[in-house]
Amino acid sequence: MNTNLVDVKGVTKDFHNGKITVNALRGLDLVIHEGDFLAIVGPSGSGKTTLLNLIGALDVASSGDISIFGHDLMAMSRKQRAELRLTSLGFVFQAYNLIPVLTALENVKFVLELQGVDGGRHERAMSILEDLSLGELANRRPNEMSGGQQQRVAVARAIVARPRLVLADEPTANLDSENSEALLVMMRELRDKHGMTFVFSTHDPLVMAHATRVVTLLDGRVVSDETKNAGDAAGSAN
Amino acid sequence: MLSLSTLRIAWRNLGRNLKRTLLVAGAIAIGQFAFLGTSALMHGYGEQFFNSATGPMLGHAQVHAYDWRDDRSMDLTLDDVDGLLADIRSDPNVMNASARIYAPVMAALTEDGFMGVVVGVDPVTESHKAGLLPVDGMGDLLGEHRIMVGAGFAERHDLKPGMEIAVIGQDIDGSIASDLYIVRDVMWSAVEIIHGLGIVMSLDDAQELLMMPGQAHEIVIHTSDRELIDETVVRLSQLPSLADLEILSWDELAPFVVTMATMVDWFAYIVLIVVFIAAAASVANTMLMSTFERTHEFGMLLSLGCSPGRLSMMIAIEAAILGLLGVAIGTAVGIAFVAATSESGLNYAALGGSDEYEVAFQGMQFSLLIYPKIYAKDIVIAVSAILATSLIAVVWPIMRIVRLRPVEAMRS
Repeated sequence: MNTNLVDVKGVTKDFHNGKITVNALRGLDLVIHEGDFLAIVGPSGSGKTTLLNLIGALDVASSGDISIFGHDLMAMSRKQRAELRLTSLGFVFQAYNLIPVLTALENVKFVLELQGVDGGRHERAMSILEDLSLGELANRRPNEMSGGQQQRVAVARAIVARPRLVLADEPTANLDSENSEALLVMMRELRDKHGMTFVFSTHDPLVMAHATRVVTLLDGRVVSDETKNAGDAAGSAN
Repeated sequence: MLSLSTLRIAWRNLGRNLKRTLLVAGAIAIGQFAFLGTSALMHGYGEQFFNSATGPMLGHAQVHAYDWRDDRSMDLTLDDVDGLLADIRSDPNVMNASARIYAPVMAALTEDGFMGVVVGVDPVTESHKAGLLPVDGMGDLLGEHRIMVGAGFAERHDLKPGMEIAVIGQDIDGSIASDLYIVRDVMWSAVEIIHGLGIVMSLDDAQELLMMPGQAHEIVIHTSDRELIDETVVRLSQLPSLADLEILSWDELAPFVVTMATMVDWFAYIVLIVVFIAAAASVANTMLMSTFERTHEFGMLLSLGCSPGRLSMMIAIEAAILGLLGVAIGTAVGIAFVAATSESGLNYAALGGSDEYEVAFQGMQFSLLIYPKIYAKDIVIAVSAILATSLIAVVWPIMRIVRLRPVEAMRS
């Protein structure tokens, strides 16, 4: 459980808007271990989403080093980053971001197809949907599902290819507390069952309650890093 | 890269804004119909023009003595015409071959004479739709000093059936040739030399008058198919009996007809180019709007690991489907239009408020009833061109997608 999946060292990220430069991250250091159920918290503008985008190879840091699964992310080409996202990372977005013209099942299968999985795509996708109690909604399109159902499909899509790391940006922001609780319990079960690592950016106290580790950012820096004792996290099996 | 999901997403995306999709497909369909309809009318017109140009006078090919076409000298004759005709008719592609004699003469009813041209024709072999005696029974009126005269010629000189006229000319030896002939009928012909000057008599009578036994000035050949003309001419030119004679195909005899046919083809191509520009503008506009609207979605797909190449393929397929949808509708309507009018023809004269359906000009008779024709190659060209145009039209949207960065796209 102590293997370092992600190692962020002295990372800065600047955004330029005309003559104005915004320093979103200011020399941030963070290590993410395999099996973490990590919540990154902090006020708006503290750099949570920016950090998630950098770890997720969606954006490039202005300076510093990011190592992910032992690979230097800063040295990767655009194509290599896309390959990394495809094979080793899963994403869950605040606004679900399902492909609107595909059914729940097709959305999940799409990731497998992107990965070049030839056989058993249907079975694997259906199995994940059933694990998440979405079997009956498999043939519905996103606009025929509730927000909670869509977010669960998004989680199914993120984990179907068994990525080592799942990054979730405010996954409960559009859900009521009941759906949020159900979603977090489900993610914890996936983490416990498959050994996946989950990293959330969030404001939601419920997510913090479920997290095994909470990292707080302020003005682009880590100001606290709290690891809970086994059994302290809400919904913990221990 | 071309997977079922890519196809599925592309297809279903077209349904996201169904009105816009139908509008663009409809615009392409109208363009395609315009192209096919214009092509079909142009083909019908072109074929009619070819038939008119090569019909009664020109034929598909002609045989002469060298220099006759330039000099029109009486003594530049084809000898042993029956033998030549037998050789020519032995070619399997030859549908008809007919010998003719032309001679300028003076004609007279009383003491006043007037200019005319004796046209000696074979009453049997000229009696067909593309011959000089196209009306049933015309051939039976000729022979044994019975003649027909052109309608314009008759009107000008007040000639009527039953009248006897004297024909005086020069035979091939330069001696005076003269005889009397009974006008059996006045004939209407689109061929100017017949209409305005023609004294049409049987080949036998002309040979007798002009001292040309077994001789003629011209053999006019019609093949069974337009496509066979060139190969037939080549084969005939290799016949020993024609070795010292000039044999020319219609396009060598009347290059202006070729020019007109080329113009007709180019007219259709100009329509096609206009259609392509309209199709390209429609598809480019639609796909550009579509990619702008879906920037966030593309960002999400990129974040999932979808390559820019696959996204580009998706957009290209959408454009191709859009183009093909329009072209399929336009082709179906175009084919239906041709099917509905190819038998009955489209009467241009009626469209202009006239009840005439034929006009004659420069020795050619043109029908104003056009029979549209469509060829598979037109459809293949149009489908390929619209497909290519649709794909070219998405280059701009695709270039935009290729440059997208996931985070920036997701923020939009």
